[in-house]
Amino acid sequence: MKLRHRVRALAAGVLIALSGAAIAQQPIVLQWQTANLTESQYEPIWKKTIAEFEAANPGIKVEPVLVARKDHWTKFVAAAQARKAPCIVSVDLTTAAYNGYLMPLDKYWNAEPAAWRKAWSDDMLKAMKWKGQLYGLPIWGGTYAEIYNRDLVTKAGLDPAKPPKTFDEYVAWAKKLSGNDHWATAVLGGKTDTTTRVLLTWIWANGGEAFNADMTEATFAKNPKSLEAIKTYLGLVRQGLAAPAPTTTNYLEQTNLYAQGKIATMRNAYWAIAKVVGDNPAMAGKSFVTPIPANVPNAPTLATVTASSISASCPNPEAAWKFIKFDAEKKWAIERAKVANWMPLRNDLADDPAIKADPMLAQFVQIGTHARSYPLPHPLWADIAANDVVDAVQKALLAPEKTDEIFRDLDARLAKKLKDI
Amino acid sequence: MNRRYGYLFLAPTLAFLGAVIVVPLGHAFWTSLHRVRGLNVAFVGLANYQRILADDAFWHSLGISVTFTGVSVGLHLLLGLALALLLDELRFARTALRIAFLTPWMVAPAVGATIWLWLLEPQFGVVNFLLRAAHVVTAPVAWLGEPATALAAVIAVEVWRGVPFVMLLMLAGLQTIPAEQYEAAAIDGAGAWQRFRFVTWPNLRYLVVVASTLDIINTIRHYDIIGVMTAGGPAGGTEALPVLLYNTAFRSNRFGDAAAIGVLLLLLVLAFAIFYVKLAKLDRLETSSR
Repeated sequence: MKLRHRVRALAAGVLIALSGAAIAQQPIVLQWQTANLTESQYEPIWKKTIAEFEAANPGIKVEPVLVARKDHWTKFVAAAQARKAPCIVSVDLTTAAYNGYLMPLDKYWNAEPAAWRKAWSDDMLKAMKWKGQLYGLPIWGGTYAEIYNRDLVTKAGLDPAKPPKTFDEYVAWAKKLSGNDHWATAVLGGKTDTTTRVLLTWIWANGGEAFNADMTEATFAKNPKSLEAIKTYLGLVRQGLAAPAPTTTNYLEQTNLYAQGKIATMRNAYWAIAKVVGDNPAMAGKSFVTPIPANVPNAPTLATVTASSISASCPNPEAAWKFIKFDAEKKWAIERAKVANWMPLRNDLADDPAIKADPMLAQFVQIGTHARSYPLPHPLWADIAANDVVDAVQKALLAPEKTDEIFRDLDARLAKKLKDI
Repeated sequence: MNRRYGYLFLAPTLAFLGAVIVVPLGHAFWTSLHRVRGLNVAFVGLANYQRILADDAFWHSLGISVTFTGVSVGLHLLLGLALALLLDELRFARTALRIAFLTPWMVAPAVGATIWLWLLEPQFGVVNFLLRAAHVVTAPVAWLGEPATALAAVIAVEVWRGVPFVMLLMLAGLQTIPAEQYEAAAIDGAGAWQRFRFVTWPNLRYLVVVASTLDIINTIRHYDIIGVMTAGGPAGGTEALPVLLYNTAFRSNRFGDAAAIGVLLLLLVLAFAIFYVKLAKLDRLETSSR
């Protein structure tokens, strides 16, 4: 071989070796998408979580995917269809698992020590399963309760120590809390599943049910208690007790109205208070919370469970699991509770002094002792909650006299849909 | 031999068009023949089409699409022509005004829609603030909260966005009309209205038909403004066909049904496109016979 050829071969070898080394040194990049990364109160925590995780795991980089809450699901679906979904996601678990968008986590879960796994109750893990396989690790949650503006309540001549306990008492309070250009509350009718969450709390508080036990039948109109609750709740608008434009009111509008003193009470979870204070710092310390007014004893409220999952197309599931475990640590659960008001779901944190030191959080935890887990476990739940139920609510808000007929139609429509899986 | 070279030269273009148009369309049609639930797919033939054509929601959306497109295109033409006539008459600040009128068209539709979303916000929006300050309304109006006002609002924003394009076409048309025709009309004693009716309009007629056809094709498949402002709500009051398609695919997760809606929408657009092509062919024939 001529010298010139030898030099060329050597140069090529060196280049290949160098590029191979460069590829070997490339860190694993994990994309992380939840609906909450764009929320200002959570931002300092997730940034800190990522920074500490990356420092502890130099070979892994976490890239947050910032998506507006209302586009979270659609963006995930589009990416999942293209087999390019972010590795770590928090989505409607049953729906996503049914559609094949998520990876079962049993392999990783079972490999963890039993002592670590004990931090999550069996009941909670049951909600994380689809067809017997685990698809998510519960990270945080939120219990729905009634949140009042103490100043507005006192100004209306009402006693914050004696909040309404029944629907009638609630309406009586609402009348006193409403006035010129301000209202008692906001009825949610915007096109997100938050509309459905609040509607469910009213139905359950009246002893009604929206579905039968195995979710093969809808009972919004079939169950008289459900229909009665729906009419009471949506009727607040017609009575002038709720802010106008309910069909465009979602979580953001509701918290905005509350933060600006336009409404005196909102049905929401603890995180809404952090959002309100973020919008209007003058609201700090001005809210108080009570259980949802109910017409039946021990009526359950709604508790959301947000889990972290690994998308089916994730090329680095081991690294993703590592991050999920890191994010589920006690330290971050406490940070999330203290800064973003997200409730921890680990058993071993219930008696933690840091949690107990926050009386409002303790109250939410207390209210949540009798709660039903949300999202409801049906593969089509994301669609039903954000579309079918919301459409019915909007129609009933626009034509209150047709409420019975509209929810009868919803029951009929869902009867077909629930079985179409 | 020459013919073979011809095909050879055409091949790159055909390959490109095939890759960006034929393959995606073929894939969309193929998808429309399947029941798609996420990544689980099963062949169902024409069942998706049967279901969609039997569904009231589709016909309701078609009605919304026809209203949205009809009113928008009508107003685009009316206002576009009026503004073009105004600009054509102006002897000063014409360029500055032309740029000013073009601004809404230069803004991305989603950005424009977001701006209007905030302007129309019931409690804190500028529109209600001004109307209340002027005592036109006494209580906040939920512009996007009622089907009728929501549809009117999205049409208004579409008109705001679409008028400049038509105005530009009309202005270009106006500037091609020979000045002699106006001079002759003036000598014959024609007034402003008669000059418009007997000189401007006959010269612009063909352009108006072309502009309206192109505008229909452009507007009927428009998603952005409605998607951002109402997402089809309230209660489906603004759910035009492209929005129904998007909601079916990404909210309801039924990609097969969404693809079928897409194919039906394509057929609708194709009808107007064929009309446009025939019109263009007619013009070519007329021009060559002159």
